[in-house]
Amino acid sequence: MNQERIVLSSERILVSGSNGFIGTRVVDALLRYGFSSIRCFVRPSSRLDGLYKVRDRYSAADTVELFQGDLLSPQDCQRAVDGCSIIYHLAAGSDKSFAGSFMNSVLTTRNLMDATVGRAELKRFVNVSSFAVYSALKIQRRGVLDETCPLEDSPQERYDPYGFGKLKQEELVKEYGKKFGLPYVILRPGTVFGPGKRELSGRVGIGTFGVFIQVSGFNLLPLTFVDNCAEAIVLAGLKPGVEGEVFNVVDDELLTSGQFLSRYKKSVKRFLSVRIPYFAAHLLCLLWENYSRTSKGQLPPVFNRRRCAAEWKQIRFTNQKLRNRLGWKPRIGLEPAMLSFLSQFTDR
Amino acid sequence: MSHSDLRVAIAGCGKIADQHVQAIDRIPGCRIVALCDRELLMAKQLGERCGVSQCFSDVVEMLAAVSPDVVHITTPPQAHFSLASLCLESGSHVYLEKPFTVTATEADRLIQIAEKRDLRLTAGHNCQFTREAIEMRRLVKQGFLGGKPVHLESHFSYDLSDKSYVGPLLGNRSHWVRRLPGKLLHNLISHGIAKLAEFLDDEIAEIFVFADQSPELERLNGEDVLDELRVLIRDGSGTTAFFFFSTQVKPRLNRLRICGPLNSLVLDQNSSSLIRNVSRNYKSYLTFFIPPLQSARENMRNAGVNLRNFVRRRLYQDYGMTELISRFYSSIRDSQAPPIPYREILLTAKIMDEIFGQIYDGDCPKLKPEPVPA
Repeated sequence: MNQERIVLSSERILVSGSNGFIGTRVVDALLRYGFSSIRCFVRPSSRLDGLYKVRDRYSAADTVELFQGDLLSPQDCQRAVDGCSIIYHLAAGSDKSFAGSFMNSVLTTRNLMDATVGRAELKRFVNVSSFAVYSALKIQRRGVLDETCPLEDSPQERYDPYGFGKLKQEELVKEYGKKFGLPYVILRPGTVFGPGKRELSGRVGIGTFGVFIQVSGFNLLPLTFVDNCAEAIVLAGLKPGVEGEVFNVVDDELLTSGQFLSRYKKSVKRFLSVRIPYFAAHLLCLLWENYSRTSKGQLPPVFNRRRCAAEWKQIRFTNQKLRNRLGWKPRIGLEPAMLSFLSQFTDR
Repeated sequence: MSHSDLRVAIAGCGKIADQHVQAIDRIPGCRIVALCDRELLMAKQLGERCGVSQCFSDVVEMLAAVSPDVVHITTPPQAHFSLASLCLESGSHVYLEKPFTVTATEADRLIQIAEKRDLRLTAGHNCQFTREAIEMRRLVKQGFLGGKPVHLESHFSYDLSDKSYVGPLLGNRSHWVRRLPGKLLHNLISHGIAKLAEFLDDEIAEIFVFADQSPELERLNGEDVLDELRVLIRDGSGTTAFFFFSTQVKPRLNRLRICGPLNSLVLDQNSSSLIRNVSRNYKSYLTFFIPPLQSARENMRNAGVNLRNFVRRRLYQDYGMTELISRFYSSIRDSQAPPIPYREILLTAKIMDEIFGQIYDGDCPKLKPEPVPA
């Protein structure tokens, strides 16, 4: 592993969303890298069990500072970024509404970035985004999705508040990069999985109608095991010369949605699932979309062609840039990663 | 768009504003001309999604630049009174989201300003304008109950598992919900109380309040926030009403029962149904067979109505809001009385004032039994 870093291990690092699914792993990785001053931004009402476990595992009570605050408060953000050399911004809005997602993804990010303006000590702002920002509508079947692919240009039609929030967040981060010289790096993780996340991704299928419907089954999932993803995030903050870059995060070995569901059923529980071909899903999405429009939203356009392409089209993924520029490689292979993910359902 | 279109502005571009945009979009003869939010970014994100280019961060500036016919105020309630006053003073009609104001005094003053300036004002009590609620009102007016209601029951529940709402307010002691006199309850009970106010006299003789914190909220470290409420009300003419609010019960409740001297009605707004309970006497064992079958027939009738409305594309979730806004706009165009009588808005505010006064200023009993001293 290349040890070249832009900060010393004694410099202060801020992690927002530090008690979340990925955030605790980021803190874990930072402790493993030997950082001795990690400030974890947490809400006063947050459950901190995961963070405590990490802190205890490294006996790092003095190293890990719990900073209670609200990212929607500019004052809290000012206090939180004080003296920090790197900010890992993982907190995100998972609200079901567009306004809620926007508020919790964009206003929070704006507050955090505003707090950094004029602070010479900040060396890197790592913004964790998502694959949800990509549009797969124009990508050919079996084509490769990489960092140069087009972003979603009509999030309203996609009806994905989370993706909308992430798109706008990225736009704002890039704007601050241009206006204020914010030294940002953007990471776009694919489907992050691992112990601590029990829900099946919508890319595997949907259970909305009582029966689990799997589209295609041959679509590759852009999987990244949570520890591998956290490693990529940490490296994005440490590597020199990557300011203004965007990195997709997917593991080397991937499964199709059919393979993933099959493993899940074998290990967790058996249930009825129906597989439909991609073209049928596309047609149904088109019909749903049209009905939603003509009925003025009697059924909201939750199923639409943009979502269909983004989640179920057979496309391939690459992590070449991540490997080449950040020197990242997955620490955990697919098999142990799957075992670790599935064990959470069987271990008591 | 014709020149007579009502020009609408929205102040406050949070979650509920999206529903307003969708509802306004369904109503002919109106268009949204401006959006305003203290956070300009919030106004712009909504503007981008609904095609409105005039976005502001200051209501005064917006009123001066746009002079809207109507302003929908969808901000936290603490700003309702000052914003509505500004809008009314500048000549705009006002639709205020619930809770209408923080106190009944503020509600009274707003109504006075509106009446003085011959402008219309309404509260976002949209649950009273769903199809089934309108049908219930029609039946009551026709005398289905057989006289004045003897007793009313309003049941309302909220699911705390929606962490996107509860998380921020518990995580921040200065969250706007926690700064309301009735805190969480203040933001959630308006619909349930307004449904009772419609059928109660202006003069409230007695109100008894029980309030507490649910075990789940206790686990989430809810501190001084209460989420369990029971209220018993008696009006001047002797009609009694019971209000039940809980975050513990499943399935979800959003129900009103009206008992009259002859028949009764049950309005279930979760399933969009109205059950008519007609009083009949049956001989002997028929009492055990006929009434359940009649209930089944009533439920089937409601399912049929809903199916018919779905096929006709009229079973959308914000029907009540669309209907209320549409009636409000009609009252503006035709210079008629607004859809919700001011009496009901004021009575709702007064009952809420009394409830929160008893909970937070008085010494209202809790639901959990007090521990016996050792």
